[in-house]
Amino acid sequence: MINLLRSEMRKVITTKLWWGMLLGSMAFAALSVVAQIATNGLTGNPAAPLTDPATQRAILSSAVSGYVFSAVVGIILITTEFRHFTSRPTFLIEPHRGRVVAAKLVVAAAVGLLYGVACVAVAVAITVPWLAAKGVAVGWTGNGLVTVMVGALGVVAIFAIVGVGVGVLVRSQVAAVIITLAYLFVAEPLVSVIPVIKETYRYLPGAAGNALAGVSRNQISLLSNWQGGLVLLAWGLLFAALGWMFTVRRDVP
Amino acid sequence: MARVIADQGGRIVVSNVSKTFGKIRAVENLSFTVEPARVTGFLGPNGAGKTTTMRVVLGLAQATSGTATIAGVPYSRLANPGRVVGAVLESTSFHPARSALNHLLVYAAATGVPDQRAHDVLTMVGLTPAADHAVKAFSLGMRQRLALATAMLGDPRVLILDEPANGLDPEGIVWLRGFLRHLAHSEGRTVLVSSHVLSEVEQTVDSVVIIARGHLVHEGTLDQLREGEALNVVVATPTPDALIAAVAPAGASVAAGAEGTLRVTGATAAAIGHAAWLAGVELHMLREEASSLERVFLELTDDQPRSTPQGPPG
Repeated sequence: MINLLRSEMRKVITTKLWWGMLLGSMAFAALSVVAQIATNGLTGNPAAPLTDPATQRAILSSAVSGYVFSAVVGIILITTEFRHFTSRPTFLIEPHRGRVVAAKLVVAAAVGLLYGVACVAVAVAITVPWLAAKGVAVGWTGNGLVTVMVGALGVVAIFAIVGVGVGVLVRSQVAAVIITLAYLFVAEPLVSVIPVIKETYRYLPGAAGNALAGVSRNQISLLSNWQGGLVLLAWGLLFAALGWMFTVRRDVP
Repeated sequence: MARVIADQGGRIVVSNVSKTFGKIRAVENLSFTVEPARVTGFLGPNGAGKTTTMRVVLGLAQATSGTATIAGVPYSRLANPGRVVGAVLESTSFHPARSALNHLLVYAAATGVPDQRAHDVLTMVGLTPAADHAVKAFSLGMRQRLALATAMLGDPRVLILDEPANGLDPEGIVWLRGFLRHLAHSEGRTVLVSSHVLSEVEQTVDSVVIIARGHLVHEGTLDQLREGEALNVVVATPTPDALIAAVAPAGASVAAGAEGTLRVTGATAAAIGHAAWLAGVELHMLREEASSLERVFLELTDDQPRSTPQGPPG
């Protein structure tokens, strides 16, 4: 397993994908933070003033928006194996294909963790000096700021695992990316406004991620943050397990 | 530096393997054995089932029935398959943006061999100058060399190569020939190499397994193949009927050949000439057809009954 993990890690660092996507996730996190601070107090923005702990929580938790990139990285790490047939040498060296998927999940989690740390670091690096310049103190103690930061980091990390899970199941790179983005940005928000199935909404991947990051939307009740984290992780592992059962064990193309 | 690998540890045994894709039977009840210390050619036209058979042997595809073993066990039960078997598959498997050296380092780590081995195999196939180039810039021949280097990473005693000469220039083919013969004859490795062109491997292989439409048609040496070949004599005469009557007592059969000639099978040119002279038949041409292994190969692989009404897979 150690050999497989080293091999999978080398696959990540020997192409430019990982840092290109890392820059993307940091840029998204930065944009979200900048948008919130810059528009605070403008007419039409209902957010409480920057001094409000809830506003500060919302600003720092928006580091989570880098998750789109960690999800896509997870998808690409696995689907690229099918696309370029590099799954063949890998499965020749390790015929127990479940172990390959497991190694991929572990390495994706490590990459996701890096992205999460980077996104949160960017959020802090922008927020703290900017608020200081506006004469606003950041209330680090007793306001749950650290909790939302850890939550945002967790969401970014776990979505890399979910990405691998979806990729194992779908196999096609383009299809997996489109399905994931369409689901997160179109399908799931639609579900959240349908009255009958609203109750199950909180168990869906996006809602579980929102719960972990402490992002609230439309006054919908979400899971607690740690429950959200576990549910999101469970989705990722479920996809990977289904992928292993229905695609990976079959004949290699 | 040449070291000889223990004799029988590298035998490949295919027994009664069948593989169907939907209604198409790609391989049917195929059995053959590949011995160590020799180069075995795995021959057949495109679509004969060579790649499918190799994929079954390598555990990449599951046989519908039958078994394939390497060193006595199915591929998936080998303790560290990367150290036992090296494979080159037909369409090469590289990430286009990864450099040749990094590609090898990825699989060196998975196989559990030191990084130095990646440099060694690059040198072995003559790709050291291109070590840091991305594979997308590689010619087909360079990709084949890199695929071969990947196969050699674990210093395997069994090599399974699917059409490795594809894309190699003539110089590369000569190099590959020497390389494979060295691995088998000097180092005792098992080498199974497929091709759809007999002449490509004719000078490389010690024995052959020939399949057509998923069936075995010949297993043995090329010499055995040559011996089984029927002698043809091409004859031209203005009175074909008289010639047919003249050679019939000798047990020869006559068929129409190209451009009004006759093809006589079952008698030597001398015997036919003598019979014609005795019968007073005028001859304009009397020539033994050049023995061509390629033609034997084509005949062997052409005359098989079709295994499915739909025809062979493409």
